[in-house]
Amino acid sequence: MKRDTPREERLVALTLKIGAYSAFACIVVGLVLHHAAGFGNGVTAAGMIVLLATPVLRIIVAGVQFLRERDLQYVLVSLGVLGIVMLAYWLGV
Amino acid sequence: MTLTAFLILVAIGFLVGGFGALAGIGGGVILTPVVALYYGLPMHQAIGVSLVSVIATSTATSALYVEQHVTDIRLGMTLELATTLGALIAALMAAHIDRRTLALMFACFLAYSSASMVRRAWYSRNENEEEPVHDYTVRNYPLGMLASLIAGGFSGLLGIGGGPIKVPVMYLFMQVPLRVATATSNFMIGVTAATSAVVYWGRGDVNLGVAAPLVAGVFAGSLLAARIKHRIPAFYILILLIGVTAWFSAQMFYKVATGGFR
Repeated sequence: MKRDTPREERLVALTLKIGAYSAFACIVVGLVLHHAAGFGNGVTAAGMIVLLATPVLRIIVAGVQFLRERDLQYVLVSLGVLGIVMLAYWLGV
Repeated sequence: MTLTAFLILVAIGFLVGGFGALAGIGGGVILTPVVALYYGLPMHQAIGVSLVSVIATSTATSALYVEQHVTDIRLGMTLELATTLGALIAALMAAHIDRRTLALMFACFLAYSSASMVRRAWYSRNENEEEPVHDYTVRNYPLGMLASLIAGGFSGLLGIGGGPIKVPVMYLFMQVPLRVATATSNFMIGVTAATSAVVYWGRGDVNLGVAAPLVAGVFAGSLLAARIKHRIPAFYILILLIGVTAWFSAQMFYKVATGGFR
């Protein structure tokens, strides 16, 4: 089996980091605004959506990188996982 | 919600996120009983809240484990085919299961988690975190996929990460080193929990008033803990979590037996 390359690891880690910190920031700002000024629930909800979207974004980033490496087996795996998650979004919301 | 109640939720999130990341668990197994037993949230909402917290722990900590080369991205994504499918089916089914049955299943899973942590505490005595990961060839994919399908199902049904199901199978049957198995399971939990969380969200079972402060605390706790993890022996944290999960399990069994969770 092929091993993960440093580039894949870097891109996936970066996606997760950006997602985690921006979701965290939105939720904290939203909550502080809510308690200090009485509004900001929209910002909190946006943070939650970023939180839910980050794992999906991570699949896409990994999938695109697999495609650039011509690792077709794992491009298909990424598409499969993405398909199931999208089905959940379609059925859920 | 009063400011005090809000701050208590942030603190609970911080503790669960922190200890969870230190011990390598998602923390859903602790958050669901806390909000169901002490905040009186209906089981389905407790599970919805726990699912989003579990995504937070996984996202915050897995970036670090990927950078440390202990996550097997390809193995994780292959098994995600099964965990997400299991999570989707279970999340759709959960709407038709009554609260008491869910609570009873959860109490059983808590007891199982507690026992599985006893075994992990035993192993962790002589586990060296500094040692480089040895080379390995992944075996037994069919069994791994089956375990992942079941773990995903439990995740969607009970709002947990499913680590106690996946990690032993990866370690014992797929011949993946324990550290890689733990990190890869943690990596998969984000996508798995997001799949079912969306279904719970769509049904209105993600209570933002409770979830947002918890998630903020979980993020802070797990981001901090992932950085100091190597300095703290997992053994003592596991002992603490074994006690906590066993206590919650007993409380949930008691509440079901005395006619609670209606």
